[in-house]
Amino acid sequence: MSSTSPEIAELIDALPAEAKEPEASSSPLEDLLQRLSHKPVPTGRFNRLWVLGTLQAKIAAAYLAWWLRGGYASADKRERTLNETHLKAALKLLGGMSYLRGAIMKVGQIIATHPDVVPEQFVEVLGHLHFEAPPMHYSLLREFVRAELGADPEEVFDEFETTAFAAASLGQVHRARLKGSGQRVAVKIQYPNISRTIRADFANMMAFLTPMRLSSDWGNMKDQFKDVRHMLDLETDYEHEAENLRIARSAFTEDEGIVVPRVFPEVSTRRVLTMEYVDGLHLDKFLATEPPQELRNRFGEKIILAVFRLYYAKGLVYADPQPGNYLFMPDGRLGAIDFGCCHRQTAEDITCCRDVERTWFDSPDLLREAIVRGSDLTPKQAADETRMKLIMDWCAWIREPVDCEGPFDFSDMDYFRRGVVLYGELLRRRYTRSRPANTWFTKSAYGMRAMLVRLKARVDMAAIFRRESTYSFTRGE
Amino acid sequence: MRVTAQKKKETRRRIVECARKLFGDKGFEQTTTRDIAETAGIAAGTMFNYFPTKEALAMTLICEALDEAGTEFDSRLRGDETVDEALFAHVAVGLRHLAPHRNYVGEVLETALSPFAREAVCEQAQQLRVGHLETVGELIALRGPATSRVPGTMTMHLYWTLYLGVLSFWAADESPNREDTLVVLDQSMRLFAGSLSSESKNGEEDHDVVDVTRDR
Repeated sequence: MSSTSPEIAELIDALPAEAKEPEASSSPLEDLLQRLSHKPVPTGRFNRLWVLGTLQAKIAAAYLAWWLRGGYASADKRERTLNETHLKAALKLLGGMSYLRGAIMKVGQIIATHPDVVPEQFVEVLGHLHFEAPPMHYSLLREFVRAELGADPEEVFDEFETTAFAAASLGQVHRARLKGSGQRVAVKIQYPNISRTIRADFANMMAFLTPMRLSSDWGNMKDQFKDVRHMLDLETDYEHEAENLRIARSAFTEDEGIVVPRVFPEVSTRRVLTMEYVDGLHLDKFLATEPPQELRNRFGEKIILAVFRLYYAKGLVYADPQPGNYLFMPDGRLGAIDFGCCHRQTAEDITCCRDVERTWFDSPDLLREAIVRGSDLTPKQAADETRMKLIMDWCAWIREPVDCEGPFDFSDMDYFRRGVVLYGELLRRRYTRSRPANTWFTKSAYGMRAMLVRLKARVDMAAIFRRESTYSFTRGE
Repeated sequence: MRVTAQKKKETRRRIVECARKLFGDKGFEQTTTRDIAETAGIAAGTMFNYFPTKEALAMTLICEALDEAGTEFDSRLRGDETVDEALFAHVAVGLRHLAPHRNYVGEVLETALSPFAREAVCEQAQQLRVGHLETVGELIALRGPATSRVPGTMTMHLYWTLYLGVLSFWAADESPNREDTLVVLDQSMRLFAGSLSSESKNGEEDHDVVDVTRDR
């Protein structure tokens, strides 16, 4: 990911021809978004097959195109033209893949956690991706639920809203009430066939992009796609998510004000997840209420507490702390609602991480050696000064709020900008890939800070860290 | 001795039930008309008075399943479905009711309902086709684009081809809960609904009233 923001004209230009809005290319960004967001969803034929037909998907595609282009910016003219052709073909193909919308939206979500890389307005739009996917019609959903749960939704539940109230990137969410108790629940239903289709779509996508591999960034691109795919694989297994929810739910006491919804396993399967309904606002809507600083701080504390508690007490890396996964509840509690993208640390992961952390605080002079050990670096990698400097700088950046005496001000854009550059470099050079757990840890640390920046919270992270890091590892208890 | 209408009805029912069991246990190919007659306790010759071919017997079972499906479909319609959703629901409910016959339905329908067929293989197949297309016609009339409410012959032929394609996909679908069929069906019905829109937009297609009985 480059740290330079693309111009709107570049973004529009990067769109595949079918998705272009040529008349808007000269308009200011806000006008463009305004106009596009008021455009009705096209109703012609193939409308829903052409998945990039939604505003969000178009913008996500534009960013994807822009990002891919960055990979061959330095190539000569002939090579650039060739790559342009391949890119156009790839994006056209992408448009025809009905279920790759999940993947495209995932890319959008990842980009949404980079507030400094993309203009604020785009961050907001991309943040909505999680909730505005084109819906499955009810008849399809009913047949799917019937096959999964053995009866129609209206028979399984006391009440079932036929219209989705939210769209997950890989499915959609309906409000319902449980039979007997009348408990309000959110039923997340996966698009049929999505995991296998995504796998096949990714293989096709890679085949189309392969001619571009001459670019020096090809390895990075491939790795990024691999990461997205791996995340999607995890997210399509709702039983895995249900178990994460169960682990996470046991991590907090009621007075800590962090709500992890309860799962109802009797009406859940690998592809239908029924959980307690949590009422609250997503980040954008919460920010639109112009919350006082004090409230921002309190929510900031809860975001940090949740990530640290899960990490230290439960061995769970909450790898995707992005806006769509949190709800700001009216009574001041924080809802953490999506646990599809969590890494369960192995005993080895924990030993390595604790070794690095202990050294970091007790003998900082030995940190470099601890990182070499913990990251499984080869002697050649360990001798690479560029690599080691970047990793050490990244560690220092991660640690900055923890070293701060008293509250750390996350509205400090200079702090975040430095992080964006470092994170971009780490990804670009693939330095996060030494151990698989490092990729997750880096995403989590970065994503959490990105959330806090958008929240403009001032939080004493050091105090929370000191308290939480004393937990021993008791995963699943 | 005169065989009463009631007796005839009972014998017919017995044959149908025996066939249902044998097709289910042994498969369509492995079951002979002689097997069915023997199990039903009648002479092979008598059976032909009721069902001239094994296909006709299988089609009777299929028609019964689809009749039940039709009743369920009617009771489940909410009224606010778009044409593609209504068509989806119509076929999906039918497939669910056909599930007990899945191991032989492909072979039977391939011959009985083929879009290449110039003549109906049996009366039951003809009735099934007519009944199915009448329902499709009604759904389009109620929910289709205003200018395409009386679909042309080509449009209905396209529908029939898509429907049989979905059936053949479903018969061989090994995905969990046959979810791939739901996707293929959804996309096929959207494609078809899209063709109705383009038909009304371009005015290219003939607008003859569809003759669903043309093979009769």
